[in-house]
Amino acid sequence: MTKGASSAPKTPDVPISAALRIGLYLLLTDGIVALELGDFLGVRGAAVVAPLLAACFWAELRGWRVDGRSPVVRGLVVLAAVLSVADVAYLAETVLDGLVRLLLFLVVYKLLTQRTVAESRTVTFLAFFMLVASAVSAFGVGFLGVLVAFAGLVTWVALYQNASLEAAPVPGRVVLGAPSIPGSSLAGLAGGASAGVLLLTAALFAVLPRVGLAALPLRAHLGQMVSGFSERVELGDYGSILTNDAVAMRVQILDMAGDPTRLGPLRWRGIALDEFDGRAWSVRHPRRTRLVRPAGGSFEVGSLQGSGLILRQEIFLEPFGAEAVFGATRALRLVYPAGAMAVDDMGSVTAMPSRSRIVYTVESELELPSPFRPRHPPPSLDDEARQRYLQLPVLPERIHALARQAAAGAGDPTEVARRLNAFLSREFRYTLTLEKLSELDPLDEFLFVRRAGHCEYFAAALAVMLRSLGVPSRVVNGFQQGEWNPLGHYFIVRLRDAHSWVEAYLPGAGWVTFDPSPRALAEPPRAPSPVFLYLDMLRLSWNRYVINWSLRDQVDIALAVRGHAGDLGPALAEAARTHARAAQLWLALVVLAVAGVIWRSQPAWRRGAAPVLPDFYRKALRMVGRRGLRPGAGETAREFGVRVARLGSVEGEAFGRLTRAYERSRFGGRSPTRHERQALDGCLTALIGRPPARPASA
Amino acid sequence: MNPTSSAPLRPGVLARRLVRWWWRRFRTIRPTREGWWCLFAATGLGVAAVNTGNNLAYLLCSMLLAIVTVSGALSDLALRGLRLRLVPPDEVYAGRAALFGVVLVNRKRRLASHSIDVVTPGGVPAVLHVARLPPGAERLGSVELRLPRRGRHRVPSFALATRFPFGLFVKTWPATGATEVLVFPAVFPLSRDREREIGAAGDATTRRRGRGHELYNLRPYRPGDEPRLIHWPTTARAGVVTVRELEEDAGLDTRIVLAGTGARDAARLEVGLSEAGSLAVHLLRAGVAVELVGPGMWVPLDRGRGQETRVLTALALYAPPGGPPAPGARSLVYPATLAGLLRQLVVDLD
Repeated sequence: MTKGASSAPKTPDVPISAALRIGLYLLLTDGIVALELGDFLGVRGAAVVAPLLAACFWAELRGWRVDGRSPVVRGLVVLAAVLSVADVAYLAETVLDGLVRLLLFLVVYKLLTQRTVAESRTVTFLAFFMLVASAVSAFGVGFLGVLVAFAGLVTWVALYQNASLEAAPVPGRVVLGAPSIPGSSLAGLAGGASAGVLLLTAALFAVLPRVGLAALPLRAHLGQMVSGFSERVELGDYGSILTNDAVAMRVQILDMAGDPTRLGPLRWRGIALDEFDGRAWSVRHPRRTRLVRPAGGSFEVGSLQGSGLILRQEIFLEPFGAEAVFGATRALRLVYPAGAMAVDDMGSVTAMPSRSRIVYTVESELELPSPFRPRHPPPSLDDEARQRYLQLPVLPERIHALARQAAAGAGDPTEVARRLNAFLSREFRYTLTLEKLSELDPLDEFLFVRRAGHCEYFAAALAVMLRSLGVPSRVVNGFQQGEWNPLGHYFIVRLRDAHSWVEAYLPGAGWVTFDPSPRALAEPPRAPSPVFLYLDMLRLSWNRYVINWSLRDQVDIALAVRGHAGDLGPALAEAARTHARAAQLWLALVVLAVAGVIWRSQPAWRRGAAPVLPDFYRKALRMVGRRGLRPGAGETAREFGVRVARLGSVEGEAFGRLTRAYERSRFGGRSPTRHERQALDGCLTALIGRPPARPASA
Repeated sequence: MNPTSSAPLRPGVLARRLVRWWWRRFRTIRPTREGWWCLFAATGLGVAAVNTGNNLAYLLCSMLLAIVTVSGALSDLALRGLRLRLVPPDEVYAGRAALFGVVLVNRKRRLASHSIDVVTPGGVPAVLHVARLPPGAERLGSVELRLPRRGRHRVPSFALATRFPFGLFVKTWPATGATEVLVFPAVFPLSRDREREIGAAGDATTRRRGRGHELYNLRPYRPGDEPRLIHWPTTARAGVVTVRELEEDAGLDTRIVLAGTGARDAARLEVGLSEAGSLAVHLLRAGVAVELVGPGMWVPLDRGRGQETRVLTALALYAPPGGPPAPGARSLVYPATLAGLLRQLVVDLD
């Protein structure tokens, strides 16, 4: 029936404009940044890729092209495919590393061979696959910036590509009006589309169902496995201890409105050590109990002693290789993303070290400050336990003498522990720089020669001295409190905050914490800048609400919404009762607004609204109105025109033409053309020019 | 829906069928090549995300789905509020290309529509393209259509399609209802021999008032008479303004007779109707009055463009006996030929 061929038209060959080229290279840059965040490039890789990209851009600007169909280029592609296979099989650290290198080759190949807008779409997809590759191992908040930039750029680039293709002339197709969408419209559309894409992305991300474990990478660089925290206390290493500013964990205190720093120094307990061999503290016989996660979802690791201070913490733990599960002393309950964990008889909780950041919740019972005692103290230690916690190697007698001297006059174990703690804090200096000053054992040298050391020395010394006076004790490794971030309400705990302290068993109180190290006096208080605190809060939020978004969070949100929705009705009813007049006013306003919207959406004729008159007819009515002629009630435009012509007081023919044009416009849906407008203007001029004629005599 | 199905349908089944029929009838969305890649990537990412629990994979999958959703919403907005009106030409002849007017109006008050293609029936890709149609604006264009057979035809609805905004999907909405068009039989210029054959004119008069050249009558002037018909000698003599009335020229008045019914051979019927139409058009445009008679058909004698339309309409709607009579045609009773007043041209339909 129709003219022309019936096959689908070929995509037109539209050259790539400068603006589109810049957009594509920005997309690729975004992809390269993503790969860097995922640790695929490194310094060497970035040093190769960035100049390559710049060279491709320069070549395109100069108009240099590689013919993708030439035998040489095809041979290169085949060679690259073979090399890729070899790379993936033998050279690359992981399959993904090899695939990323192949992806980069394809990007360079496409950049050098692309000629048309249609081909540039392949580059867009390749940039997207860069983001996909980096998603496997990039967990930092920088990925958020990459994603936002990509969403903005890709909507603009895709809009522009489509608009360019649509604007290209196609044989047999007629373009009505301007051939292309104006640039200002494109910019506005791209902005709106980007905003919509980002909002929808956030919404879909929140609701897409999670059925597996979050953040399990196929590939990860573990980085520094052990730093700061140690599961042994080894005395006798000399030199300076480098402080590591890397963040070990972030601890958010839940269900607490006030400032948790007022609770006193908080410590995040890791592992307890019970045996001292003269140089190192360790766990002699680990007596671990394996716990399997029950149906309720939390691990019960301790029993309540009735101190009354329960602290819930949400801990965002970085992967630094420790098996210990940290939490405030003493942990009662853990919600941990693992199927099983182990707890020993000293309250140390361990799990398989994670290769990525994990989030878990700990419920801890804090110790009461002295002299208060818990309501349900643990039972006394039996002989075996006493023997264990009083174990000491053969030590110089002067260590025992020093202990007796420092605790002289103390009446009970509590007083003994307090005096020894104060003695070490007062008489010894904290330092991270250790020099070998003698051939003595490290503890001996610390106590009698150097009289300075770091927290491990202080803890070891206190534990040894307590044991020598018959007070059961053990050394604990963990982290001290860290820096408080008031913006995000959490503690930033760094690897340099790794710390050792002592737990002494006191009758009627159980295991009580003593920290002899005067570390707080030696280290200057750290006050991070607000910018750092804000960025760190952003990082925490990213980890919490994106990287570790889980099914549990979705369930919690759904339950919260349901709960609030359930409360909404009674709350509204109560508010209506309390503020009856205001409620009535609001209700009336809402009803009026809805009615107004419904009214506005009705067609004009149904609303009884006056029809919109074309401007030329409005002017004509105004002109004849000055002569006292106005349409009567119910009089149609044509009838009025005939009446006007019959009266003979105005240019009847001109007004008739104007009336006919009005009818065509209003009822025929046809606006006057340019020539017709000129003729109508002439009619209007005629209406103005002709003076009122005297009525014809009979 | 199967109109021949006689078994009663359960409400649920009926509802599902209705929804499916409505969806197919009014909406088509077809992914382009890039759209298929996008869907494939979203599916792959979704499977990977679910299997690994990697939230960044979920994030990228969400972004792809968001792009698809935004694309659908913007293309919906582009097509919504558009009205397409087809303006058929006054005369459409079978087998001959006819120019149909197309008016595309954006009835939205605030939003422009972008990248709109007018798709003609038969699925031929866009013949008209509008890059941007501001709110309240309209664009006029034309489309050439060729209708192969005479008679009443419903031109299938045109459709509006768009790849806006990203070119991932082509969304097509039907834009017009079917428009009915009357297609006249094909009309061809007469051969020289045929022209000579029918061109002989007689000198007979009709003895009736008309627009010929011979004097028919003199009468007093009436308002509205043409001043050039005033007969001045009579006016001077009588002292009353007198006008001439002229006689109708009857030399070429013709009756075209369709012989036979055309029931035996459809192709021969079409040829015959085409020949009759060609004759009628030729004679009418030469100023001759034409009458058309045939089986169950009679178009009274008249001249001018109106008569051309009436004759062609009757020919377009002619169906061999057995079918309903052609509207506009009168009964078989027509005045017998008055000797010397009408010549007859016979066209065989069999």
